[in-house]
Amino acid sequence: MLKKTLLLAACFGLVSGAALAQSTWTGGDELPTNPLACDGTPGAVVSKDYDGGVPTNAPDRAGKKITVVDIPKLIGVGYFAATTKGIQEAATELGNVDAKTDGPTKANIDEQITFIDNYITSGVDGILFAANDPVAIAPVLKKALAAGINVVGYDANATPDARQWFVNQAEFNGIAKSLIDSMAKEAGEDASFAIVTSTFTTPNQARWIAEMAAYAAKCHPNMKWLETVEAQEDNVLSFNQASTLINKYGDQLKGIFGMTSVATPAAAEAVTQANQCGKIAIVGLATPNAMKPYVEKDCVKSVVLWNPVDLGYAAMQVLRATADGTLKPGATSVKAGKLGELKVVNGSEILLGSPFVFDKSNIGQFDF
Amino acid sequence: MSFEAASPRRAASTGAFSRIASAYGQELIILAAIVLLFAVVGTIAPRFTSQTNLTSIFVGNAYIAVAAIGMSMVIISGHIDVSVGSLIGVLATISGTLAVAGYPVWIAWLVPIVVGMAITSIIGVLVAYVRIPSIVVTLGMLSILKGGLISATGGAWITNLPPDYLIAQFRLLGVPSPVWFMAILTIAAAIWMRSTAFGRSIYAVGGNPEAARVAGIRVEATTVSIFAIHGMFAGIAAVLFATQLQVIQSTVPPNLELTIITASVVGGVSILGGTGTVIGSTLAAILFAAIGSSLIFLNVSAYWLRSVQGLLILATVLADMARRHRIS
Repeated sequence: MLKKTLLLAACFGLVSGAALAQSTWTGGDELPTNPLACDGTPGAVVSKDYDGGVPTNAPDRAGKKITVVDIPKLIGVGYFAATTKGIQEAATELGNVDAKTDGPTKANIDEQITFIDNYITSGVDGILFAANDPVAIAPVLKKALAAGINVVGYDANATPDARQWFVNQAEFNGIAKSLIDSMAKEAGEDASFAIVTSTFTTPNQARWIAEMAAYAAKCHPNMKWLETVEAQEDNVLSFNQASTLINKYGDQLKGIFGMTSVATPAAAEAVTQANQCGKIAIVGLATPNAMKPYVEKDCVKSVVLWNPVDLGYAAMQVLRATADGTLKPGATSVKAGKLGELKVVNGSEILLGSPFVFDKSNIGQFDF
Repeated sequence: MSFEAASPRRAASTGAFSRIASAYGQELIILAAIVLLFAVVGTIAPRFTSQTNLTSIFVGNAYIAVAAIGMSMVIISGHIDVSVGSLIGVLATISGTLAVAGYPVWIAWLVPIVVGMAITSIIGVLVAYVRIPSIVVTLGMLSILKGGLISATGGAWITNLPPDYLIAQFRLLGVPSPVWFMAILTIAAAIWMRSTAFGRSIYAVGGNPEAARVAGIRVEATTVSIFAIHGMFAGIAAVLFATQLQVIQSTVPPNLELTIITASVVGGVSILGGTGTVIGSTLAAILFAAIGSSLIFLNVSAYWLRSVQGLLILATVLADMARRHRIS
């Protein structure tokens, strides 16, 4: 009985295996893609009306000293320590901002709401936030807008009408371009590669993979996608899946993409333990701390993410521009100090720019 | 009736082959399935049976087989532990934290085993003396451990593990240490369960607690001991799990308890207690690992692994029911 079941399963597996061998990349979604230009020309912006909120009876703050509180998802972790650093840099540079960061020590939406509520009561001119929950945070942010406070989000958005602007750290097509370009540079224009993702239906990963396929077809047509495997967000499973890919394809496999911050270091570990460093390139989304051992050993050359210091810096600049009235609904760009002109996208979002690539020369400066 | 599998001598006098077949029926079927799988997939994709892939299959999943040894004992004794996945996550985090804090590596290896035994002993006491069903106790423990782990670590990973702590990456005679752990612990546990009074009392307690009590077995104390031994295997599994890579994720591995319980059940351990062997559970763990790997070689979605595991559970439990029905 068991034997029969197994045989049946094996046969079924073979049949569906053949059926799954198709041309599009598994793990991508079906939504329309918008690949960027191959040479780095910024993508065309689809115009969309301003959909952010407006503060009620905000006083004229143009050029005046303002007090700003930054309430990230949580404090005490490297990532938000880096955004805080960027906020302070911008505040110092601007000279007319008194900014401080405060918030829960756990990524807890209830505590975050309490913090914001207290600062509304105590009276501030501006609030920066990274939401623990886009919907749950909306009422308290609307309360801040109603009190005439300027509200700008970064890193994690709220529903648009609950804040004025949101600084978006990276668009899907930007991440996709960065990943594919890095792989082409490291493994070659004709490289065969595989992808380790969380699951085929995880929204962000599916979007990135779809954009990667579109961008590769447009700009690196000779690169060959082999397959996508799922590894949930599980370290050991990611490692096992990556090892199996290496065993399966042998010399044919020139690169592995890690689509999650779990999969990328695990894939790097699999390549390291298989003694394939330098032969199989690892490119992926990951945080610097998890990747430092592999970058320092030259096993991994590019880790794609955004620079959280720049993200905090941009958020502070955007808030100042909003308070000054230089960034108004309908604007198409905003000046953000050393980052230059940043684009307005998607109604009320400000795009930070191209993703940041961590490599051996800079990864030591980051701690998150 | 529950003693058949445990004492092959009673099975029949019709010759050695049928004796082995009746005592180790499930184990032989699993073994045949493994051989068949390697033969079929190896023919389609020759790299499947390459030495590196065999190593990946065994090394990457040995901790599941080790944890399934303890789980099998718990299930044979008529109980279950659904908290084992969380427990392994917690123990791995404790182990890694000690290693990074600079404690000698043997402390980082030993403490999770001791803590594991302590936690499962508490479960055992609640089950045996307070008489709360084990599914309830361990469901509660699952939430406590999972929630406690997330609160304590905030999800931060443990990195910078010292190289001499990474025991799962050691090799002895060219064979990776997890394979040694899996093989030696399985064989030792199998012999111990068959040839010691305590080992046999596990079957007695699970088969018929009242009969066991009449026979002079202290059922409650035995139950607590079984849970404690299960905690020891969970601790060893946690150390292997923690030292496999250079980072520890500090979260509970998804569905790990299900994988471990499935290995026990498909390996022939009756979910109703009383029968089964740890050789079966180890073979089943290897079979799952091999199926998981073969899905990639055959370009089949990993979701099928779940489905195949589910099919195997149903098939095994049905077969177990049918066998019991026939006997009674």
